[in-house]
Amino acid sequence: MFDWKLALEAIGMVIYATFMGFIFMGIERKAMARIQRRIGPPIYQPIIDTLKLLGKKESVSHGLIYDFGPVFALGASITALLFIPIANFQLFSSNADLIVVAYLLEVPMLGIMLGAMSSGNPYSALGVQRGLLTMVAMQLPYGLALIALIQHWGTFKLSNIVALQQVHGWSITVPALLLAFIVFDIVFQALLGLEPFDIVSAPAEISMGPMVEYGGKHAALLFTQHAVQLFAETAFFAVLFLGGASNLLELLVKQIAVLFIAIFVASIYPRFTIDQAAKFFWKWPTIIGIIAVLLTM
Amino acid sequence: MNELMIMLFAPLVAGFIAWALDVRGIREAVGVLGTLVPLGVLAKYYSTIAGSNPEVVTQTITVGGFKLIFQLNTISWYFATIASLIGVAMAFGMVSTSRSSYEWLFALMSYTGVLGVFLSGDFVGFFLFWELMTFASFMMVLKRSRHESLKYFVLSVIGAYAMLIAIGILYAKIGALDFGTIRQALYMDAMLGSISKSLTALVFLLFLTAFGVKAGAVPLHVWAPGAYSEVDQSYTAFFSGALSKAGAYGFLLLYILMGAKLVAALGIWHNHMVFSYIIAWLGAITVVVAGFLAVLQEDIRKLFAYSSVSQVGYILLGLGIGTPLGFTGALFHVLSHAVFKGLFWLVVAALVLRTGKTRFEDFGGLAEKMPITFAMSLIAVLSLAGIPPMAGFASKWLIYEAAISAHMPLVAGAIFLGSALAFAYVVRFLYAVWFGQRPSDLEDVKEAPLPLLIGMAILAIPNIVFGVAPGLVTEYLGKFLGNPVGGNYYKLVTPTGTYNALLVAVLLVFGLAIAGLIFIYGAKTRRIPVTNTYQSGNPVTEDYNLSMRRNFYRPLAEALDFWLKYSWDRFYERLAGIAEDFADFLREGFYNGNVQSYAWYLAVVLLILALWGVL
Amino acid sequence: MSERKNDEFISYELKEFKLFEPLFRWARKKSLWIVAFCTGCGGIEMPPLATARYDFERFGIMPNPAPRMGDLFLITGYVTPKTLKRIIITYEMMQDPKYVLAHGSCPINGGVYWDSYNVVKQLDKYIPIDVAIAGCMPRAEAVMQGIMDIIRKIENGEADGWKRYRENYEWYRKNQDELFGEGWREKDAKRWLAWL
Repeated sequence: MFDWKLALEAIGMVIYATFMGFIFMGIERKAMARIQRRIGPPIYQPIIDTLKLLGKKESVSHGLIYDFGPVFALGASITALLFIPIANFQLFSSNADLIVVAYLLEVPMLGIMLGAMSSGNPYSALGVQRGLLTMVAMQLPYGLALIALIQHWGTFKLSNIVALQQVHGWSITVPALLLAFIVFDIVFQALLGLEPFDIVSAPAEISMGPMVEYGGKHAALLFTQHAVQLFAETAFFAVLFLGGASNLLELLVKQIAVLFIAIFVASIYPRFTIDQAAKFFWKWPTIIGIIAVLLTM
Repeated sequence: MNELMIMLFAPLVAGFIAWALDVRGIREAVGVLGTLVPLGVLAKYYSTIAGSNPEVVTQTITVGGFKLIFQLNTISWYFATIASLIGVAMAFGMVSTSRSSYEWLFALMSYTGVLGVFLSGDFVGFFLFWELMTFASFMMVLKRSRHESLKYFVLSVIGAYAMLIAIGILYAKIGALDFGTIRQALYMDAMLGSISKSLTALVFLLFLTAFGVKAGAVPLHVWAPGAYSEVDQSYTAFFSGALSKAGAYGFLLLYILMGAKLVAALGIWHNHMVFSYIIAWLGAITVVVAGFLAVLQEDIRKLFAYSSVSQVGYILLGLGIGTPLGFTGALFHVLSHAVFKGLFWLVVAALVLRTGKTRFEDFGGLAEKMPITFAMSLIAVLSLAGIPPMAGFASKWLIYEAAISAHMPLVAGAIFLGSALAFAYVVRFLYAVWFGQRPSDLEDVKEAPLPLLIGMAILAIPNIVFGVAPGLVTEYLGKFLGNPVGGNYYKLVTPTGTYNALLVAVLLVFGLAIAGLIFIYGAKTRRIPVTNTYQSGNPVTEDYNLSMRRNFYRPLAEALDFWLKYSWDRFYERLAGIAEDFADFLREGFYNGNVQSYAWYLAVVLLILALWGVL
Repeated sequence: MSERKNDEFISYELKEFKLFEPLFRWARKKSLWIVAFCTGCGGIEMPPLATARYDFERFGIMPNPAPRMGDLFLITGYVTPKTLKRIIITYEMMQDPKYVLAHGSCPINGGVYWDSYNVVKQLDKYIPIDVAIAGCMPRAEAVMQGIMDIIRKIENGEADGWKRYRENYEWYRKNQDELFGEGWREKDAKRWLAWL
């Protein structure tokens, strides 16, 4: 009864996603450096960073929840990843649909925040506050973009959305969904925590926000989590709007395309304050999103 | 004696015994026993109700010339079971928190009222028990706060009159009060159209007011924050978990009794039934407005009160969608809201009992002092925030599916916003109460007492069980909704989507295992105190509390400052002020204490009567 | 009030990674995250280092505001007793292995402030320094040279300041207490209460 092939695929996909996620993080740093006319770190630099953090000889803890937070975050990211159809690997995607995946992609944030809050550092608390308010702000346009997509394709299942796009053309070729795509891309910036919505970590203001107390293996876990999450979110984007992919290479190209849009936007914009971000999200992205859902109704 | 009657009146009788005896120990035992009886009776009837050939258990009694019909059918069994589950948890909680026989009497009386509302088969019983429930809960609020109880009383009276008039109109037109006859008559009338459109709309509006008050729909929610805060918190678990569900049950009843007639009278607009579209938007507005208000609260009880209002908004929204899927989602959310919000209120009860504080700024760092209560609140948080696989997620997921498949995109957008808000306020609760530096006066806080923990466990278990096996609930609900949700115990399948809760749970465990392996491989952790945190190199002392407790979401308040200028509370207060001024004007103008003017009034009245030809 | 015990920072178990230690050692030298404690004039040498001219990120060096993740502690310029307290606290918060790079003449011997009443003349007495860069100010090239040195030292296992701090904690502690007086942490924390 136990499906060995599926299990192997899942484990392989977790390893592949972690590796590629690290490479994506490297690409992010390298591309930023090139835009700023620097040479930049090697593309595999995040792997080195994570290894170094894991190799720290001591680690401190503020209690059980502090340890549980990063573990839970990574676990939830892996769970989310396994429900996304990645190229020709369907994995478990027939068992969960778009709403479930969208929720699962938010769960890691709860883990990070649990850990951050239990450290008792006010910078962490400020980071948590900013993270949650960003989420409150972005959730409305995010939801509208997803609703437009679901209404147009008439299904919640990610694998069906991919199949329909293979037949009828990518989502972004539909005018209404192009609007949804624009909204989703703005929200995506906040999902990845990049400028102009990097309010959560804001290194120069609040010392990395939720991450400030993390070091050693906890930080290594969070880095790994970020890698998996980055891979999952770009794949989610590619599946929803760029027609999915029939093999890993095609998906990779699309993911990197998505990533580059995010990097380019991030490298030229300064940071919003949190109330500006909220007002921004509730103005233009929401209006465009409402137009998109009404067009697809 | 019929078992339905035993079940209905056991809590009331137990309440009276507890009140009359008023002996510590016996009072509590009788109370708990009284709440356990209905649960036992309901469990006994499960096979009859949910068996292969379900039958309706009916019991008729005659009181003062009125024939009261009580029946236990699939819907009322569901609601009554939820209510009695919360009731048992409430009783366990009250063993610890309540020292007053007065509270036991009225808590159990409201329990009887709620059960009566769910079991009634006609409008006489429905109204009587509705009023019993309102009266008992009003008395509970009155004990703590006169002002809040007055607010609750006025709005409840408005609701009660609205319901009474609506029932009167229906009786005048149909000549019957039992649900079966009314349902048939209105169904027939949908085709004949002998009741005019405006009258139907009026009845709808009146019922909307009546049930909206109890469910706490915006703009009739103003009683809820005060009333939920100003009672014994264990009772609030029942107040918010079960009493507000009477409102939801009322809305469901509206569909059952008047659905066809309302569609015929109010018509269809863009493929949505107009009347249910109104309910859906009422729900959506409630979700968002109450969610924002909850985020900005500074009092732990107010936060959960607004959260209750917001979550009941989900139920209204689900009912308003009007498809079988929507009903399934809404009724599932009735269950999940009852269990997670009941759990929250019991946690609050434990906090209030052990610390005597209610404002966020006075709490902090209690996770080490009350670990079990903390674990319970974490379960409730995960469930409310809609983290799969928890009961809260399954029901929210169904509402999402229903709203989007029914082509109500903006309503669905409101759910997205509402769930982000829910996430925000529960995390704030977690931070302010459980984490951070502990104020020095909370050093000797103890774990919650055992009965309260039992009450919490009773509510925590369904959160997990129905989360991992949501099919248990949807299968039961499918019996009278025509199976809109397929799949098995662990997997929900709608025409357009799937959610396999067990698989999510298994993969979560798998992910946690991988992460745990990495964690274990790293260096051994050393425990450091909460003062050893990075403050740009400054040493930290516990004498000054650095945790952010006050105005946690101030940037949101700044972003919303335009909207926060308006308040329903102030609107009603101004309305009350105007009414008072008007009354003053009347009093001063007419009852001025001058005998001569009274003589004039008499003369004028006599003159009018003479002209009318009475004299 | 939790007592900060003398041995709290040093009496913990060091994990020896048997299998992957060579890998971790390689990673350590390739990824140095800087906790830039820009105390003095040397702070202004950081921007050219980080930006297009010298770009230290190509060696995997990255400024990081959180000390718990940091590896390389940069003391850029003169140190007064007031800043030294913060330096010690931040240094103790960083997790082993950690390295200190003293920047300019001032941390070595006081530099131009050799006769100042309020400048710590020799930083090495209070926390262990792995590499010191002389100069007033050292140019960015010199700082790069210092960073190269520390990378080489990590490779050879010579950058053992954190080990020295653990082994000679009593001595460092004595020097710190001589300068600030006993119980300076608590006293300093409470000094802010009135202000807050």
